[in-house]
Amino acid sequence: MEIHVDKDACVGCGLCVKDCPMHVYELQDNVSVAVRPNNCMGCLSCHEICPAQALEHRGIYAARRHYIDINVCEMLRKVV
Amino acid sequence: MSAGYIDELHEAFHSDLVYRSEEIPLECSPKPKEMEQTLHGVMKLNGLVIRSLEEIAGRGANAVTYRAGKKFGHEVAKYFQKREDVEGALHELSDLLRGQYSFEVWKPEDKETFIIEENGETFIYLVFHDCIVRQTLRRNGLDQGGPLCQTLFGYVVGAIEEITGRKAKLEIVHTGPNACLKKLVLK
Repeated sequence: MEIHVDKDACVGCGLCVKDCPMHVYELQDNVSVAVRPNNCMGCLSCHEICPAQALEHRGIYAARRHYIDINVCEMLRKVV
Repeated sequence: MSAGYIDELHEAFHSDLVYRSEEIPLECSPKPKEMEQTLHGVMKLNGLVIRSLEEIAGRGANAVTYRAGKKFGHEVAKYFQKREDVEGALHELSDLLRGQYSFEVWKPEDKETFIIEENGETFIYLVFHDCIVRQTLRRNGLDQGGPLCQTLFGYVVGAIEEITGRKAKLEIVHTGPNACLKKLVLK
């Protein structure tokens, strides 16, 4: 597992540090650093909680997503 | 209601198909792609049931759904091969949950084996990747770890107990949008 933190985007809020149950992240000089990437089990809670969207995971298994509403998607496609 | 609309309805539900009771359908109808709306309907219904149950029974809802899931797990796993080893039991469980849930055995990097012994208890970490419970909860904007998750917990515990003949317990360690970490404690 490779975790990349965009240092320019990271605001140093530390939410990913607090949220990760496996202590993958640490704050160093007010920037989040993935110090234990091998401990990541790919839950992606950090992605959901990061206000700056500064995280990127590589080599992750993306779970199936059945919950996306097809009608909403169709409407969005018309708008976007 | 206009007569035209009623006629339209009647026409929509009428066909010239000859259906014999001895004919066994060999495939789903309609095709899976067309079932998407049905799936969403089922997810919405499940979400509604769980939300109402939480409102009515409060914290007791977890116990009810856990018990229901466990009973179901015992019943389903009855027909599976009995295994004494945990690895074999998890393999059987994986077959049992195929298509609905997928999971893998996981360990933190500082642990040497997947079966971990700590503070007098033996446990295994399971990471659940694909999960219809998570999909349903996210579809309905409900929190993870509540009564619907307890149904799955009970189901897994019931199945493991039935397959191995040993008592087991499952704990939520963490829930996430893409995967959940669970701890299977063996007794």
